[in-house]
Amino acid sequence: MTAAVDVRGLAYALPGDGRTLVQNVSFTVGPGETLVLLGRSGSGKTTTLKLINRLLEPTAGEVLVAGEPAAALEPTRLRRRIGYVIQEVGLFPHFTVAQNIGLVPRLEGWPADRIAARVRELLALVGLDPAAFLTRYPHQLSGGQRQRVGVARALAADPPLLLLDEPFGALDPITRVELQREFRGLEGRLGKGMVFVTHDVREGLLLGTRIGLMHEGRLLFLGTPEEFRGSTQPEAVAFMSAVDPGPAARG
Amino acid sequence: MNLLSFYSRNSAELLGLTWQHVYLVVVSTGAAIVVGVPLGIALTRRPAWRAPVLGLANVFQTIPSLALLGFLIPFFGIGAWTAITALILYALLPIIRNTYTGIAGVDPAVREAGRGMGMTDGELLRLVELPLAAGVILAGIRVATVVSVGVATIGAAIGAGGLGVYIFRGVATVDDTLIMAGALPAALLALAADAVLGIAQRRLAWQR
Amino acid sequence: MAAIGGRVLLTLALLLGACGRHDRIVVGAKNFTESDLLAEIVAQQIERRLHVPVERRLHLGGTFVCHQAILAGQIDLYVEYSGTAFTAVLKHPPVVERDSVFHQVASEYSRQFGLRWLTAFGFDNTFAILVRAADAERYGLKAISDLSRVAPRWHAGFGYEFLERADGFAGLSRVYGLHFAAPPTAMDLGLTYRALADRKVDVIAGNSTDGQIAALHLVALEDDRHYFPPYEAAPVVRAGTLERYAGLARALEELGGKISDDEMRRLNAAADVEHRDIRTIAHEWLEAHVP
Repeated sequence: MTAAVDVRGLAYALPGDGRTLVQNVSFTVGPGETLVLLGRSGSGKTTTLKLINRLLEPTAGEVLVAGEPAAALEPTRLRRRIGYVIQEVGLFPHFTVAQNIGLVPRLEGWPADRIAARVRELLALVGLDPAAFLTRYPHQLSGGQRQRVGVARALAADPPLLLLDEPFGALDPITRVELQREFRGLEGRLGKGMVFVTHDVREGLLLGTRIGLMHEGRLLFLGTPEEFRGSTQPEAVAFMSAVDPGPAARG
Repeated sequence: MNLLSFYSRNSAELLGLTWQHVYLVVVSTGAAIVVGVPLGIALTRRPAWRAPVLGLANVFQTIPSLALLGFLIPFFGIGAWTAITALILYALLPIIRNTYTGIAGVDPAVREAGRGMGMTDGELLRLVELPLAAGVILAGIRVATVVSVGVATIGAAIGAGGLGVYIFRGVATVDDTLIMAGALPAALLALAADAVLGIAQRRLAWQR
Repeated sequence: MAAIGGRVLLTLALLLGACGRHDRIVVGAKNFTESDLLAEIVAQQIERRLHVPVERRLHLGGTFVCHQAILAGQIDLYVEYSGTAFTAVLKHPPVVERDSVFHQVASEYSRQFGLRWLTAFGFDNTFAILVRAADAERYGLKAISDLSRVAPRWHAGFGYEFLERADGFAGLSRVYGLHFAAPPTAMDLGLTYRALADRKVDVIAGNSTDGQIAALHLVALEDDRHYFPPYEAAPVVRAGTLERYAGLARALEELGGKISDDEMRRLNAAADVEHRDIRTIAHEWLEAHVP
């Protein structure tokens, strides 16, 4: 099966002063796999994410999404085939939950009934009762509910790849743990490739099939959570010792 | 002669002048919207244009109305079209500026999510930015319209017609009834425009 | 309510300049060049003969504004025209007998308003119904009666005062049977000349002594039905001011009969066409004609 995303030698230098934010990053994520990009602030993990869906243009390297070169596609066409979830969620305040989720299908011209069915399906998937939530507006939702809708929206057109940029970072600790657990359940069922950016080691160890540790724009470590825990790589050690992984990580 | 009897004796003329006045305001505000809203949108896409465009529109607004009309006469002569040109130039600043701030004020997360999902610039503008900015844009149109009703009264000095004709006749002959005959409907027109557009603005303004 | 509002505004506007009025003479003028010129001549004459400070309120407004101002004491004198006073202020129907108009106006102003008319300057500035010289030639227009032929296809433009006055448009169109294509366009008097020259309108009502008539290639049509009364310009002064300043009447009488029609046209052209400073024009004229 083709990899959901295949990144080779990816690099990005700022247009103004030429400072490199990402250097020689390579990894592959297969369907059903979740790669967690872990690192401190400024390590280049969010930049790497944006290089995949071309919100930023790589200055070197290539990206293949579901086997196709990302550079060959129109950026908007590329992005419609990638689910994108951000920390602030960014739901359209003037759209209902249903309209928010159904956005990309609508842009792609799906028939109305197909969109409606898909929206219901996705709401159930992310744990929201369709009857109650279809016609609500974002301002009527809690933070956790909003991000569930955000994830549903990203999944709407059934993309092979999902990019998530610290999606649970803005939530309170209890809601965060709740959503992490549910997300873990989803990962298995969806069969999609995911690149998940976080600076939270616990979250990374819980949700990742593999961990990619980034530091100053380079990928220092790429391996399973077990390998990460036992790694002698200084930055990995720093991360592990800074946080005591809770019981969930050993689960 | 009191105001009411003046109006009943000159109802056709009053209607004619009111119609002229409304025409001046509607044509000029319409043109300013057609020019100003796209310009405001362009300013959000090209930050480098912001200072010169807003600066120029601001210059026009700062010139006193009578002076602006005076400047335009050598180019456009006297009459309604000169007045309409001046009114357009006055209406541009609030409309361009409000279009710009309305769109720029859209939550950056919303814009990022939209782009990240694969919306084209046009789809983003049409489905997200303009609907969210509509309330602010309409507020700018409302200000422009109300100011236009006022400035249009001065157009009578250069032969543009409108309710200012009564005011100028009244001033020339020190006839208070005539002055009020023009000033009162003009004020009412401004209030009415403000009220109607205010309702439209509240309907469209988005509650976050 | 409206009347009170209007009067309050007018009084406030006039009050803006008037303070400490007992030590100077205030000379007003209407809102056109000739009035400003005559006011400046009068003002300088008072200064050189009486050595009293003179405040000028030039370009104040139309006939009615100046009339209200002099009644209220905001100005002490201004130059008015006999025909205008007769029809617009005293509201008599237009009459043509030269001497009777001036005498009637002088006696009624004295009786009703406490205002004195001094000797006229010597010229008659009547309304000039003006058309472009080219049109006058093409359509054979010499007198205002000829206008009724072309009126249905033409547009007229007038200042606000001419439109409102009894000796203005209403009477003129009635006496000469003028029916224009549409009601006349109303605009600031000063702009009517440009509007006529630019072909925005085809006929205007200017002043017969205007400097721009020749410069813009315009022609004045003859008032063949004698609709307009004579408009002799003279200083109009508050009786109280004449009493307070001995020698004022004598100084102003020196100017009587000194300006002919042509002389006035020449002075107007110096200001409007040559764009020379009014104070200089007045000064030179006084030096030359009233030494």
